[in-house]
Amino acid sequence: MNFSEFQNQARLYVIGALEPEELEEFENARTKFGKKGEDFITKCYALHEAFALSLRPAKASSSIKDRLMAMVKAKKEA
Amino acid sequence: MGQSKLIASTRRKPKKRVRLAKSRPRAVTVAPQLEPGAPSDLDLMQGIQAGDADALSQLYDRYNGILKALILRVIHNEAEADDLLQEIFMEIWNQSKNFSSQKGKPLGWMVTLARRRAIDGLRKKQAYARAEERLQNETEQQPDAWVNNATEEEILLSDTRSLIRKVIAGLPPPQQQAIDLAFFKGMSQREIAAKTNTPLGTVKTRLELGLKKIYDGLKELRDEL
Repeated sequence: MNFSEFQNQARLYVIGALEPEELEEFENARTKFGKKGEDFITKCYALHEAFALSLRPAKASSSIKDRLMAMVKAKKEA
Repeated sequence: MGQSKLIASTRRKPKKRVRLAKSRPRAVTVAPQLEPGAPSDLDLMQGIQAGDADALSQLYDRYNGILKALILRVIHNEAEADDLLQEIFMEIWNQSKNFSSQKGKPLGWMVTLARRRAIDGLRKKQAYARAEERLQNETEQQPDAWVNNATEEEILLSDTRSLIRKVIAGLPPPQQQAIDLAFFKGMSQREIAAKTNTPLGTVKTRLELGLKKIYDGLKELRDEL
């Protein structure tokens, strides 16, 4: 697998779309490309951010934050 | 794109509201622009790691809408999405030590965590069919969020978000569909092929081409990509 192919696979990898047989080959290439490969995978996670930002924000129930902060407070006091 | 601030990381005492320490011009990123003087996501994350509940409160205010939208996109149930949103922010609090700024941005980490939890929740309940039915109904009732949602609200979105949407909307519909099923439904290539009656090789090509176009589009927004 050359680096261009690795880049294609990495973009599939970060969204969990590699098939098992591809995953094994990808992991081998990942080892082969070392830091360069890891750096590229890290960059690919920006895709997650982009997909989320592409959605229209949804309004959460107003009680959620109150419940969350109460849980955090209880956890801190425990 | 407008100017925003990059905040130098500083140590903070718990219970103290996170504040700006120092700023310098920031390169364009895919994250939403912040109000001048607002703490960066990284500041807030470091506050959470230090046990500052107010930092979590601020991060919640900033991103609950985005994460709720992501969860809803996966599970299509308002009440369940709210419950999951609460669990995810609790997990952000509990797992904050696992966040490393060297491995990415706080929003990316939160989205990855939220997506995983939402897809796990969907699978646990074996609700694919039900969600699919809801998705089908919603698709019939209103335009897809990725394809035709040019509302007044969208016009008011930040330049960055609009650009991301344009990049995605510019993909051919089959590529959008393949990416949507993979990212928001957690489907494998084989599952997508079966669902769409498309050869496996075609699905792979659609995913590769679509993701590359989005990635390349983001490169124009991010100097670090």
